[in-house]
Amino acid sequence: MNRRTVDHGPTAAPAAYPSVVDGALDRVRDGLVEGISSVVGAQVAGDMVEVTLPLLRRARTCPGSVGRPDAPFAWKPVFARRSLGLAAVRACADGRFRGPAEAVGPLASASVDEWRRTGRRTFHWEPWFEGLGDGARAVVLAEATTWAGPLWAAADWAALGGRAVLGGPDDLWTCPGPRTVRLKGRWEARVAPSRPTGGAEGPPAAGPVLVSVSGGIPDGGWADELAFLALVAALRSTDQPVPARVVGLWPEAGERRTVEVDEASLTDAAERVVAVVASVVDARAPGSVAA
Amino acid sequence: MTTTESPRGEWPRGARNAGDGSGPAWASDWQPLAGAALLDRLRVTGRARPTADPELGADLRSHIEDGCGVEDGRGVEDGRGPSGTAGGPLVVTPGRLTGALWCPAHALDRTAATEFSLPLACGALVGVLFRQLVVTGTIGDALADGVDALAVDERRAPLVEWIGQLAPAERSELRAEVDRQAEGLRRRWPAFDPAWLPRTQECLRVPLAGGGIELVTRVDLAVGRPAGAEASVALVDVTSGCRRAAHRDDRHLHALAETLRSGTPPFAVATYFTRTGELDVDPVTPALLVGAARRCRAGIEAIVSGRDLGATPVVAPAGDGYRWCAGCAEAPLGRVATVATIEPRLAPDGPSDVTTRPVTVDGVLPVPEDRAA
Repeated sequence: MNRRTVDHGPTAAPAAYPSVVDGALDRVRDGLVEGISSVVGAQVAGDMVEVTLPLLRRARTCPGSVGRPDAPFAWKPVFARRSLGLAAVRACADGRFRGPAEAVGPLASASVDEWRRTGRRTFHWEPWFEGLGDGARAVVLAEATTWAGPLWAAADWAALGGRAVLGGPDDLWTCPGPRTVRLKGRWEARVAPSRPTGGAEGPPAAGPVLVSVSGGIPDGGWADELAFLALVAALRSTDQPVPARVVGLWPEAGERRTVEVDEASLTDAAERVVAVVASVVDARAPGSVAA
Repeated sequence: MTTTESPRGEWPRGARNAGDGSGPAWASDWQPLAGAALLDRLRVTGRARPTADPELGADLRSHIEDGCGVEDGRGVEDGRGPSGTAGGPLVVTPGRLTGALWCPAHALDRTAATEFSLPLACGALVGVLFRQLVVTGTIGDALADGVDALAVDERRAPLVEWIGQLAPAERSELRAEVDRQAEGLRRRWPAFDPAWLPRTQECLRVPLAGGGIELVTRVDLAVGRPAGAEASVALVDVTSGCRRAAHRDDRHLHALAETLRSGTPPFAVATYFTRTGELDVDPVTPALLVGAARRCRAGIEAIVSGRDLGATPVVAPAGDGYRWCAGCAEAPLGRVATVATIEPRLAPDGPSDVTTRPVTVDGVLPVPEDRAA
């Protein structure tokens, strides 16, 4: 990864004790709820605004597009690469395979077999994958392998053992109020802090580290975007420590950047969320050009 | 994957009826490398592997940025690229760079190959089959697998439709050539150790000039764990066409992009020719990177100045402004390539019967001295 940027290893332990002090998260949450409430007045009843990392980026780079409805969903290889790639990295970390290229094929086949046998979908795309020809399946496997390579190389995941969670359910938080605004955060890895020396049962020294993998090149809003992931994770589970750090990887550009999570970074992220919600509501309002 | 078929859509000479299809026509006893020998050709360059060199990377970056006409993203803050186009950074791809550097005479030829043709379809199919082979280790019915793979890429839909509408005779011709090249892939490319992290269609992006310019390349195959202190990555392009100067330029650009993005150069860049089984490998050296940076800078200059927009300039750039033209590297127009010449040895008392004639370097493309450095 490029050493020109702020660079902490994805799994390096944060140096400080939790930097988000007691009460800070409450203040950030209250400010966020108040901010969202102030901008959703024009939101159509029954409409939902879901704020995600891609939406935050689109609002910055292509603001005119935020109100447009998403294209009808259809599976394609680039949509399947993250889930399969994460499973591959996880399986490699468990010692089952020597690299993602070796893992993707058996994992995809096993998930299809499981779906056939039980009806349970591990990745959701099993029926689509099964209907593809060999050549198209190879594209799916190739996309997942290429996606997984840099993440697998970014850390010694096997050495982290149970401290590292690769993939997992999205973090969701719904803003209380008469209109539905939901925040969805998706990280690729979550690394729990090590326990204090000599205190295996004691509290962790700091909050976890989140790792996010993105395409393209980080633009000027990268810090808020990484902090957004910490914000949603913190709001979702108030009984869990607030993430101490978020590490962003942009493999295509060889960039690795880090945000140390504190009240200021969470506040900045919350303010950006409010701005994006406002722009989406405006764009969807009856009579607007985008609507 | 590139397809450098004839601009007029003809098969490259020697594409068919080439014996067992595995060797160039000029050497009937020549056999392409296969298996471990092929990998060794890629891995063992005969030179020490480069190491991370931040100063070299910074110098390369400075050289390109100093000449691109944009400083620290100026002109980009308002969403305008350095070429004055709205909507973000100026995206520079290998194809755009090559196109920007054509001389006016050769630029006339490059307008031809935009329609679908059998060679173009073959190139696209063999490209996805190579990817399939790397990932799965197998290729079944080559044409069917290839079309399946193209069909899940919506950008390829017009090509898939075109293939589907081929007349039986043309389809048979396409199938025969795809089968032949796929068989060559199967026989020659061994399985990669998964620990080498083989990655296909890897995208490399390098922001330049404070984000005003984005250099974007995509390599067909990258092997090796990225960004170590010592080079461990090799990059391979795959092409179904004949050897062209642009192939060398492209792989050198890949080397430059990888160096700029990771801080460590790849140790080798290569082009594999599926038609013949040849593998061109260049060890990556500082000189190679400097040459690539100079060409990159010249191309960006041409793009920014508008010389790439199709208009034939009335006045050629000062000096040897078209020295990077890939067309001239292959077929100089009305002039003798001055790469290396056999010096006339004058007889003491009379005219020489030895004529000056151009020769090529190693029997391949002439490489101007300026670019051979």
